[in-house]
Amino acid sequence: MKFVEEFRDAALGRALAAEILSLVEPGRTYKLMEVCGGHTHSIYRYGIDGLLPDGVELVHGPGCPVCVLPMGRVDDGIAIAHEPNVIFTCFGDMMRIPGSDGSLLEAKAEGADVRMVYSPLDALEIARRNPDREVVFFAIGFETTAPSTALTLKRAKAEGIANFSCICNHVTIVPPLRALLDSPGLEIDGFVGPGHVATVVGARPFQFIPADYSKPLVISGFEPLDVLQSIQMLLAQLASGRCEVENQYARVVPWEGNPRALQVMAEVFELRAHFEWRGLGFISQSALKLSDAYSELDAERRYGIPGVRVADPKACQCGEVLKGVIKPWECKVFGTACTPERPIGTCMVSPEGACAAYYTYGRYARGREVAV
Amino acid sequence: MKHECVTCGDVATRMRVLAVNDGESLALCVEEGERPEAVKRRLTVDTGIVGAVAPGDTLLVHAGTALTRTSMREPPA
Repeated sequence: MKFVEEFRDAALGRALAAEILSLVEPGRTYKLMEVCGGHTHSIYRYGIDGLLPDGVELVHGPGCPVCVLPMGRVDDGIAIAHEPNVIFTCFGDMMRIPGSDGSLLEAKAEGADVRMVYSPLDALEIARRNPDREVVFFAIGFETTAPSTALTLKRAKAEGIANFSCICNHVTIVPPLRALLDSPGLEIDGFVGPGHVATVVGARPFQFIPADYSKPLVISGFEPLDVLQSIQMLLAQLASGRCEVENQYARVVPWEGNPRALQVMAEVFELRAHFEWRGLGFISQSALKLSDAYSELDAERRYGIPGVRVADPKACQCGEVLKGVIKPWECKVFGTACTPERPIGTCMVSPEGACAAYYTYGRYARGREVAV
Repeated sequence: MKHECVTCGDVATRMRVLAVNDGESLALCVEEGERPEAVKRRLTVDTGIVGAVAPGDTLLVHAGTALTRTSMREPPA
């Protein structure tokens, strides 16, 4: 496919790897955080880490919405799924996230009508076809996914579809990045920025990172050469003493983002005062809820939810993984009690989760050998 | 991207517009890529945030919504 294969060209990849090597100061260590799970997945799928010099370490950030969802919110979804007459709809990976007493998939096995959808539009169509049932959509994702939910809610409202509602778990990317940067002991030299979030929000919201924290950020695409070039751009900034936001993914990301998307999000959503993130705790104004104008479509108001904060299983170290404190394979249960087939932690559920990416592509073996 | 997670904020698929329903801001799209035509995913896509589209346009689609048109530039030299 044009403009995809070219970004997987091995010769170009080797040339970029050589350029990266030339930018590395001997004896210096560089820690670069890829913010989103899509990058983590690409890095391990294509073996990008294997092309980097020893001094360049990639640290995995909190940009997988499945991974950062706390167990209590899963429990809230399951409680609604068990309500009489409800068809509960969600994306596929959401079904496998463990709550405190099972997952949505297990709720389905117990008799709840839980259905996987590919988009909120699919959920709305189920509502149209089942006017005698209540259809609830479990909305999750960063600013990339939020416009999709917002547009669907606008359609539902315009069409007067009263049997449709949404439990909103959308989160925003800037507050957790700021929380991470404020974490004591965080040693990150630069950020590979989230490409598709930036198609919506643009590059401007990330300018606080160089301005307030003196760290460079490069918004990156997801093909192997995109990621390699972004790493090269970060190292070039560090080598020359520059510190700014650059846009490697300019073929897709406009500097100003998508104003129409931002407008529809502003109409349908408002910021929550605070929201819990797995591993990061409560972060102010880091998530979205339905605005008053859309309150009649808010499943949280329609049903009431337990809203109980649930601690992660003691054995699970997703929190440390999400903060880049430990590598996935350093978790006590990685690959033993916790696998993609039977995950304990959320990072093992989604293919974009750091643990699942390591596990699937076997990248942990090298790290283990080094540790031994 | 194989093994994709729709939930992730950073998975999006390039799709080509086959037919348009302008009044509803919807378009029937087919995924681009190396898979055989017969098994390529077709999806009704909300085009509400990218404006009017026409058959043949390529869009970056995430969770059933077109995020942007794709105007691909050359890869790094």
